[in-house]
Amino acid sequence: MSNRNEKLEALLGPTGPQVSCDECFERLDEYVELELAGADAEARVPGMRAHLEGCPACREEHDSLRALADR
Amino acid sequence: MTVAYAPLPVDSSEAWLDALRADGARRQDAIADLHDLLLRAARFEIGRRRSALSFVRGEALEDLAVQAADDALVAVLAKLDDYRGASRFTTWAYKFALLEAGVRLRRRAWQGREVVLEPESWPNLADDGPSAQRSAEGAELLRELKRAVQEKLTPHQRDVFVALALNEVPIDVLAERLDTTRGALYKTLHDARTKLRRELAASGYLEEVS
Repeated sequence: MSNRNEKLEALLGPTGPQVSCDECFERLDEYVELELAGADAEARVPGMRAHLEGCPACREEHDSLRALADR
Repeated sequence: MTVAYAPLPVDSSEAWLDALRADGARRQDAIADLHDLLLRAARFEIGRRRSALSFVRGEALEDLAVQAADDALVAVLAKLDDYRGASRFTTWAYKFALLEAGVRLRRRAWQGREVVLEPESWPNLADDGPSAQRSAEGAELLRELKRAVQEKLTPHQRDVFVALALNEVPIDVLAERLDTTRGALYKTLHDARTKLRRELAASGYLEEVS
């Protein structure tokens, strides 16, 4: 992807269906443990990956929960 | 008479639930253990974000961790019946502390800073490289994007898009200033982005990114 497109994508966010912030929080623990188990977390929680790409606050919480649960 | 209880196994979700739903001293001990767990999670989050808060004293950060753990404890106990066993109890509980700590950290980092709802800067959408043509294309795309932001978004969508996507204001900070929620703001941002994508696609500018 070109430099221009990366910047534009960052502004416009991901395409396709995605969960809301409330749904993200509701299922974040399940999603993280599926990831850590090597399962297809996105198949079990459709739209989570796109939301995490588009919402920096939810992404930070995902990254922290994954790091904490993996200790 | 004192009664000794075995420590809770770290990953025993059933044991956590049983103890937290028990009566008397057993429940109080479980609540104290849960608070310790949530406090560790809050400190963990603060440790990860500390570089953004180098101007905040250590005591203030510890206060922030305790407040986050306190509020997370209330939330966990209130939502105990919502726990579905889709993850370990500890992972489920951690997320409440991480949320409380994260929100506080973002707001603390922006304390005293003005939230600007006008664009502070627009990204340079020209590709890397010396090509004059690419530079002109980038400038044209940027003009089209600015036009779409001005003409196609509602005033509220424009404010939210500018603050969150352009000026990178943390969503929890904007939610506090506008007296709304993270979820409501993200929905507005999503709707604004969808409109802008549609407009840029209609103008032929999104061929390379679709």
